[in-house]
Amino acid sequence: MQNLLAGLLLIVIAAIAAWQASPLPMGTLRHIGPGMFPISLAGFIALIGVALMVTWARGERNSTGRWPLRGPLFILGSAVIFGLAVRPLGLAVAGPMLVIVAAFASHETRWVEIIAFAAGMTVFCLVLFKYLLSLPIPVAPWLIGY
Amino acid sequence: MSQNILKTLAAIGAAFAMSAGSADAQTYPTRAVTVIVPFAAGGPTDVIARIVGEAMGKTLGQQFIIENVAGAGGTTGIAKGAAATADGYTIMMGHMGTHGAAPALYKNIKYKPDQDFEPIGIAAGTPIVIVGRNNYPAKTLQELVAKLKADGDKANEGHAGVGSVSFTTCTMFNVMAGAKPARVPYTGTGPVINDMLADKLDYACDQIVSVASQVRAGTIRGYAIATDKRSPALPDVPTTTEAGLPDYKVSAWNALFAPKGTPKDVVAKLTDALDKALSDAATRKRLEDLGGVIPEGKERGGAHLASFVKIEMDRWDKAFKAGGVMPN
Amino acid sequence: MEALYDNLSHGFSVAVSFQNLGLCFIGVVVGTLVGILPGVGPIATIAMLLPLTFNFDPTGALIMLAGIYYGAQYGGSTTAILINIPGEATSVVTTLDGHQMARQGRAGVALGTAALVSFFAGTVSTLVVAALGVPLTKLALLFGPAEYFSLMVLGLAFAVVLAQGSLLKAAAMILLGVLLAAIGTDLETGEARMTFGLDELADGIDFVVLAMGVFGFAEILRNLENPESRDVVRAKIGRLLPNKADIKASIMPMLRGTGLGAVLGILPGNGAVLGPFASYTTEKKLAKDPSRFGKGAIEGVAGPEAANNAGAQTAFIPLLTLGIPPNAVMALMVGAMTIHGIIPGPQVMTKSPDLFWGMIASMWIGNAFLLVINLPMIGIWVKLLNVPYRLMFSAILLFCCIGIYSINNDTSDVALTAMFGLFGYVLIKLGFEPAPLLLGFVLGRLMEEKLRQALILSRGDFMTFVENPVSGVLLAISLGIVIFAVLPAVRKKKEEALSS
Repeated sequence: MQNLLAGLLLIVIAAIAAWQASPLPMGTLRHIGPGMFPISLAGFIALIGVALMVTWARGERNSTGRWPLRGPLFILGSAVIFGLAVRPLGLAVAGPMLVIVAAFASHETRWVEIIAFAAGMTVFCLVLFKYLLSLPIPVAPWLIGY
Repeated sequence: MSQNILKTLAAIGAAFAMSAGSADAQTYPTRAVTVIVPFAAGGPTDVIARIVGEAMGKTLGQQFIIENVAGAGGTTGIAKGAAATADGYTIMMGHMGTHGAAPALYKNIKYKPDQDFEPIGIAAGTPIVIVGRNNYPAKTLQELVAKLKADGDKANEGHAGVGSVSFTTCTMFNVMAGAKPARVPYTGTGPVINDMLADKLDYACDQIVSVASQVRAGTIRGYAIATDKRSPALPDVPTTTEAGLPDYKVSAWNALFAPKGTPKDVVAKLTDALDKALSDAATRKRLEDLGGVIPEGKERGGAHLASFVKIEMDRWDKAFKAGGVMPN
Repeated sequence: MEALYDNLSHGFSVAVSFQNLGLCFIGVVVGTLVGILPGVGPIATIAMLLPLTFNFDPTGALIMLAGIYYGAQYGGSTTAILINIPGEATSVVTTLDGHQMARQGRAGVALGTAALVSFFAGTVSTLVVAALGVPLTKLALLFGPAEYFSLMVLGLAFAVVLAQGSLLKAAAMILLGVLLAAIGTDLETGEARMTFGLDELADGIDFVVLAMGVFGFAEILRNLENPESRDVVRAKIGRLLPNKADIKASIMPMLRGTGLGAVLGILPGNGAVLGPFASYTTEKKLAKDPSRFGKGAIEGVAGPEAANNAGAQTAFIPLLTLGIPPNAVMALMVGAMTIHGIIPGPQVMTKSPDLFWGMIASMWIGNAFLLVINLPMIGIWVKLLNVPYRLMFSAILLFCCIGIYSINNDTSDVALTAMFGLFGYVLIKLGFEPAPLLLGFVLGRLMEEKLRQALILSRGDFMTFVENPVSGVLLAISLGIVIFAVLPAVRKKKEEALSS
């Protein structure tokens, strides 16, 4: 199963790349155009994809394991929320939001602990990044203007 | 109940936002000013912004913080700056590329250099020097032009990527010299110099700060500097007028802009602070050490910059059309 | 020799002034800190600290900034070993065996080995910079586009050897890495390539975004799913320092790694990233039992870490002797020098000997500081592994997100990283390894750039790669490596076929 899906994934990626690179001029071997590299890479990747599917057809039976959705959803979701929130709301809000949303990903979460941890981490990060390393990251623009 | 709390919170938030957002010109600036530099830290524009910003910060009593937002020949950072709150707390360091050449180079540019800004003033320019490898047969600019006209297709010109200063300025040089070299793209000025030292490239055009030390050391040849006066940083390199190509006058200028709608008196304060910075002896020395050319008299201030931007846009548009460079 | 002694003693007299010692110390401490924080790199930090240096003389300022740079290289391995996140391209290799050692309760040994070999490599390469900096400059000039392309091919050949599982899958990951590197604006024509019309992709994908995604985020997802495997890390904490057997196993890899890293570091265009990969390949090929690699072999930490640190030091050679920065951090150092009115170039050494020799001497002092700071810290780092994972993962996530945001002050980078996190998670599930992907990504961009430059220069003649001796030799070695890597696999297949 693993190699069947792996092969399929590679073929899909190659197809997307070929579609995106198709409007670009290929050039010639003597004068390579912008499209040459991506298109040839896509070709090779698709070939490997086919080869992987062949190994599956010949009897590869590795399991891909479980595919729980909870982890990816909350972990990656919390990062996206952080990205959206950090500019308008600042680290003071985006920081605790990230920690709390991410906490839904783990079933070991203890809520009182995580809220205290979110507050503590945010203060720690503000001191570390804003005041010690002076990165230009917004703190709380809606409250103090930066 | 909870709705009431939300409403109250919203009202408090709005009140804070108002107080933070209103730029009171009398007291401006009450906090640090962010200067968006549309190139990576360490390059000539960045260095000039830092030198000028530091002096302006002293005058206005608030820190000027540099924020580097690089990308797409500088247009990413400027687009971001143009969309910022017009309260004088976000300004940007525009550039020959972002406010002169870009409209003719990029199709999807998100701002209009002559309409979407309140010009503060030109900070400093770094003149372009035409350089070549030491053992290239052409010894003077005239010999170079003659050689490029005769067998230019054999020549290799290096530039730091489409949209870079070395690319745009050498496009103009090639048009004026009638040259059609192989144009070899690199990802920065450093590798261009490297391959010129290794005798792979024949010539290039670049800002004085990037090439001065090599020319002074005699490791690469300086053909001409594209200004009216010779530079104290390279006293032995003739001007393009002296060397016989008087029309080729190019400087990578850097200028401060505020987003459209910034209060007039705030812009005036910034213009004034820039003016003071450019008259300050220590700041001038720092800029001149870089080979920078500081605007004097009527070249300073927003009004001159506004008309200058229009002239530059027109000039680059013509140069790219003549050089066969299509917008992307 | 006597001149070298004079120069170095002059350098040390500059570097041991109270101010410069202090700045060097601050530099390496800040560097270690940003190196350890996942996602926060030396570039953002140095850019932010530039204004502070206005108040110092240029020598002091550069001593501090240089300290941040090699301190960050040092700190980066700590994160790679403890939580399997490479902060820099050069610490990708360290995750392979370093993190496995941590999982086996040998985190302290891995960190200690990394610290000791880094100090040794730093010492040797400081001497190399001082004694041979000027003659070695010639080596950098030998490498034009054609030679560089062939070197990149060699690098990709290393990547095949790097692979632990299926060769086919490793090759796919390398090519995929090269493909991802092709996203962005075309160098020659300025056209947007495979950007899906998104401005955010116009300048390509940042290495940190890809690395944090496929390593950092994907690792968190995997750990949350398998509480058993990560608890092993916490269950047993062994010795904190390497013992005699560890040191004995590390000495030869360290010597070879130092040599490889020092030579590759000199090359223009960031040759230093190849050092750890080259060292790892060499050790794996020389080992009696290559199958230990990827499962916590100490040689896989000692060699690459030495190469990493040696390359970080010798990368200063092109900057100091030619004024040409080989990577983004060095470009920033050029900026720092110009702000202080020193235009980097061939004359720095004669015109500003204080700066030149003072900086070189400070590099050794900085390396000594790093050792003194980091050895006692190992105990603390290892204790950090005792923090319950239910808290640790959100802290890692927060650090990563802040770091990613700070690369370009751009929120879309964070979303892109999350996307690569998902991608990396799928890759792990399907049995792909992320390390060759990152190597392909790092080398891919340079490879295409150099290929096209070389072909423009040769007017389309491919013989340029073979006629040229340096390039030809490099290509021949690459071919040899690939054949040797593939042969055993083919032979094994045949044997399996015969026996079954």
